[in-house]
Amino acid sequence: MDAVWKDSSREGLIFGVVIIFFILIGLTVTLSDIVGNTLDLNSDSMIGNTRGLMVTYSILGLWIGIRGANTAERTWSTSLLSSTAAGLTTAVLVGVSVFVVGILDAADVEMRNYLVQLSRPSVQLLIFTKDPVSGSFLTAGIFIISSALGGLLSMATESQRNSQQWQAVFLDRFSNLSLKRVKETFHSSPRLRWVGYGLFLAISLLIPQFLSKYWNYAMGTVGIYVLMGLGLNIVVGLAGLLGLGYVAFFAIGAYTVGLLTAPAPISLQIGFWPALIASVVLAALTGILLGLPVLRMRGDYLAIVTLGFGEIIRVLIRSDLMSPYLGGPQGIRDIAGPTIFGVSFSSEKAYLYLIVIGILLAIFFTNHLQNSRVGRAWMAIREDETVAQAMGINTLYYKLLAFATGAAFAGVGGALFAARNQYTGPADHTLMVSINVLCLLIVGGMGSIPGVIVGAFVLKGFPEILRELELYRLLTFGGLLVVMMVLRPEGLWPAPRRRLELSAEDSSTPVLEDEASG
Amino acid sequence: MAMLEVNDIHTFYGNIHALKGISLTVEENEIVTLIGGNGAGKTTTLRTISGLLSPRHGQVKFEGEDISSTPAHELVYRGITMVPEGRGIFSRLSVSENLDMGAYSREDKSKLQDDYDRVFQLFPRLKERRKQVAGTLSGGEQQMLATARALMASPRLLLMDEPSMGLAPILVENVFETIKQINKDGTTILLVEQNATVALSVADRGYVLQTGEIVLKDNADNLKKDEMVRKAYLGID
Ligand SMILES: Nc1ncnc2c1ncn2[C@@H]1O[C@H](COP(=O)(O)OP(=O)(O)OP(=O)(O)O)[C@@H](O)[C@H]1O
Ligand SMILES: [Mg+2]
Repeated sequence: MDAVWKDSSREGLIFGVVIIFFILIGLTVTLSDIVGNTLDLNSDSMIGNTRGLMVTYSILGLWIGIRGANTAERTWSTSLLSSTAAGLTTAVLVGVSVFVVGILDAADVEMRNYLVQLSRPSVQLLIFTKDPVSGSFLTAGIFIISSALGGLLSMATESQRNSQQWQAVFLDRFSNLSLKRVKETFHSSPRLRWVGYGLFLAISLLIPQFLSKYWNYAMGTVGIYVLMGLGLNIVVGLAGLLGLGYVAFFAIGAYTVGLLTAPAPISLQIGFWPALIASVVLAALTGILLGLPVLRMRGDYLAIVTLGFGEIIRVLIRSDLMSPYLGGPQGIRDIAGPTIFGVSFSSEKAYLYLIVIGILLAIFFTNHLQNSRVGRAWMAIREDETVAQAMGINTLYYKLLAFATGAAFAGVGGALFAARNQYTGPADHTLMVSINVLCLLIVGGMGSIPGVIVGAFVLKGFPEILRELELYRLLTFGGLLVVMMVLRPEGLWPAPRRRLELSAEDSSTPVLEDEASG
Repeated sequence: MAMLEVNDIHTFYGNIHALKGISLTVEENEIVTLIGGNGAGKTTTLRTISGLLSPRHGQVKFEGEDISSTPAHELVYRGITMVPEGRGIFSRLSVSENLDMGAYSREDKSKLQDDYDRVFQLFPRLKERRKQVAGTLSGGEQQMLATARALMASPRLLLMDEPSMGLAPILVENVFETIKQINKDGTTILLVEQNATVALSVADRGYVLQTGEIVLKDNADNLKKDEMVRKAYLGID
């Protein structure tokens, strides 16, 4: 009995913390507006939508209830009890927060000074334009009732159909459970996987046609992060090396294209395509040169040295010393874009296509490497380096290969980024880029190609959709990471456990038979 | 010419002088054991031979060629494979994945199937548990897997580091039966052990190691009778 309470209130606790986090970054306003507009609800508040917020809370409450019920034995009473326990926990957490916010607001404390999203109108929304006491009780009440309903609902559907199918369908709308099902089907058959990639290809080729200039640009940014994510995924996810200064290779790509194609500071102007190739080669070479001394170190040291390398590059491109050659703090202007048969194609749409092609090539390349001896060597190194060596794997060589490939991908990313903006400067190459890419891997799932794509959309696309979040990117990162670690420690779309299934009976040459793209 | 010839090797960990001039030989088709207490330098010796460490002085020769500075991964291709101390299996991979990793160095894939058959014959337990995640195997099964994985590289010289570690007496006997079998099938074995009783029961010859130095060497039967060995390693007065 104790355990039931503990498990279900833990569910409630997580939800509570997440919801409070949403309140603090102002997401409740946006969400309530979306729900309110969709359902055409009237609102009492100046911003946001009070009834929309109630519906939002109720949906969340149902979800909490269902999750809470899942922690318990499948009987009516325990389901109801544990779902209510979960709901109660959330209700108390959120209720108290709303009460505190309401009281502070009533006492004329300007919370806006500390938390920009907590303006007076948004506090009014939180307490449903009532007084703090009734507002917080109403909030708590919604959570308790809806979570109890959720528990009953989960039980009702359970008894109707013996499986959790219906529940999964229900949750489709609100949870990543649906993603899990897609993922399972996706991983279960190689043919389906190609269909999946085909669909992704078709969508990514079609979508730019329908997007506005702004969205094509935004998606292009997401794409560049996908490209970099794919590269870092090889280093961190496949070979298991913690590289933190990834932005260095991005910068090398960007500056190579910049210096080779722009009229100043050195006027070479060799055109985009040769410069692109140069940037890939240079990034990969730098990867090898950095890797040779550094890859003999392990774990923490590697992380620190690569981190330092990223900073060194940034300091160099900023410095006055190098500014005659690298442009200094002003950066490089008028970087050339790609031309084909003398026709320049530099619209956001064209760049998005170019980026998508880059991504597809990178995916193809990664898949190919992963399913070969190289992938097997990386897997062994990631599991245990010394033993890998004892198996006859030249660990230094394969680590260098991972480093160089990862660097090359980042080089492409940087080159496309600089050409698209027709400019690059020190501000493009901060530590934040490295952190972003690492975060998208963690969020998406280490070692997983679809994970990289999902992670990039969540971390770079999502903030575009909710522009307000831009301000709070760091906070969002922190929050997302914490939530992720708790809810899905393996990432949104983790790599399946890769199998090299060998059956002694039915295959004469055992091969690495990869059941999924990973 | 001995298959393996170790001449006066000195190996250091930083300033720690772990091996102070070790010399030993292993002839083709022999089982040679290296016994000694905790910290004597047994593992260090094996790591030096297998190329994971390199000696500061002295020489390791395999089939007449100096391999003192050959890196570990190349030695696997030359025919030396190690079963590491504490087994060192890839615990998150399945049993068959572990075996596949063992076969990484094999260029001649045509005989691979025979090797799978052979290790599954030696260790029927592993065949049953092919798909199990290696980390969930019992200690004994993990030892089997580590040995089987090493055999997948089809070594001519097998270095084994304390295969009896942490196993129940009955299992130890089992493991050593298999070791004998492997040797009969044509693999030369250098066996490191603290458990001198079983080690000397399967070995042809033995060396006794103390704080980085060889203090005794003889054939197994004589070592079993030796006063000092009986006291220090066999627990008999
Ligand atoms: N990585 C290391 N760094 C520093 N000293 C080490 C290292 N590994 C081993 N040593 C030292 O070298 C000596 C020999 O160690 P080794 O591991 O070879 O002993 P061993 O005979 O295998 O012992 P055991 O039976 O306990 O495994 C010991 O004094 C040990 O403390
Ligand atoms: Mg040892």
